[in-house]
Amino acid sequence: MKEHLQTQLAGFFISVTLITAAMFILGLFFQPDLRFGYEAFAYPLIYGVIGSVPGLLMYSKKELTLKQTLIREFIQMSLIIVLIITFMFGRFKNIPELIPQIIGVSVSIVIIYVLVHFFGWLMDLKTAKVMTEDLKRFQQKASGGSE
Amino acid sequence: MEITVKKIGESEKEYIEIGCHRKDERVDEIVRFIRSREGILKGTKEDRQYNIPLPDILYIEAVDEKTFIYLQNDCYESGRRLYEFEGVLISRNFARISKSVIVNLMKIDSIRPSLNGRFSCVLTNGEQVIISRKYVPDIKERLKGGSV
Repeated sequence: MKEHLQTQLAGFFISVTLITAAMFILGLFFQPDLRFGYEAFAYPLIYGVIGSVPGLLMYSKKELTLKQTLIREFIQMSLIIVLIITFMFGRFKNIPELIPQIIGVSVSIVIIYVLVHFFGWLMDLKTAKVMTEDLKRFQQKASGGSE
Repeated sequence: MEITVKKIGESEKEYIEIGCHRKDERVDEIVRFIRSREGILKGTKEDRQYNIPLPDILYIEAVDEKTFIYLQNDCYESGRRLYEFEGVLISRNFARISKSVIVNLMKIDSIRPSLNGRFSCVLTNGEQVIISRKYVPDIKERLKGGSV
C-alpha cells in the first residue's frame, strides 16, 4: 500500500504540472480573452485530486498480469475523463454547444494520463539503472572480487 | 594426477583450476562435486531425482501448489514449498522478488522498469521475471550493501 501511495503522489504532482500546461494551451485556443481571479490557481490542484481518486479506489494487492494492468489503466482513465468532464461541465445546460471543449478536455486528459505514466516510467528507468549498478557491485562482492 | 593447493591472499578470489588433456566424464564428476560443496537442492524430472547445485539455479517459481526450479536450459520440480526455500536460500544470494518467485541474484544480468511501478529482472539466459512493487524496497536495500 505504501508503494502504491508513493506512486499515486508522484503521479499527482506530475498531473498538476501537466494540467496547468493543458489549461494554458486549451484556454488560449478556446477562450483567449477570458480573465480569472486567484481561484484559477486552485483548479490544477482540484483536477489533480479528482484524477487521483480512481487510482486510490482501484488499488489491489493482487499482482496483475500485463493484460489486466492495461484493462485497469483504460478503466481508470475513462473514469477520470467522466469525473473531470462532470465537474467542469455538469452545471451547464447548453451541453451540445460545449462539445468542442469537452472533446478538447478529453483529449488533454488522455495525453496527460499517458504523459504521467511516461514520466513515471522515466523515473523507474533511472531507479532500474541504479539498481543494476548496485547489482553488479553486489555480484562482484559476492563472488569474492574486489571493487 | 598431481594435486596442488596454493594459499592466496584474502583480497583475491578463491578458485579451483583443473588441468586436463580433455574434458571427459571424470572431469565433469569432479566439477559436480566441487559445485555441490556450494550447496545443492533436490529436484525431480521425469521421475528421476537430481542434485542441483545452487549456483546453477536461475530462479524458483511456485505455480498452482507446485514448485519449479529453473536452470539455464532445464526445469525441475520440487516437493518443497516456496517459503521453505526462502528460509534456506536467503543467505545464499537468493531473494524473494514476488509472491511466487525467488531469484538467484547472481544470475540477473540487468533490471528494467516494467508497468505499474514494477521492475523486471533480465536473467543470464534472457528470460525476464517480475519484481513486484511490494518487494522493490527490499531488493534495493539488499543490493545497496545489505547482507551478501
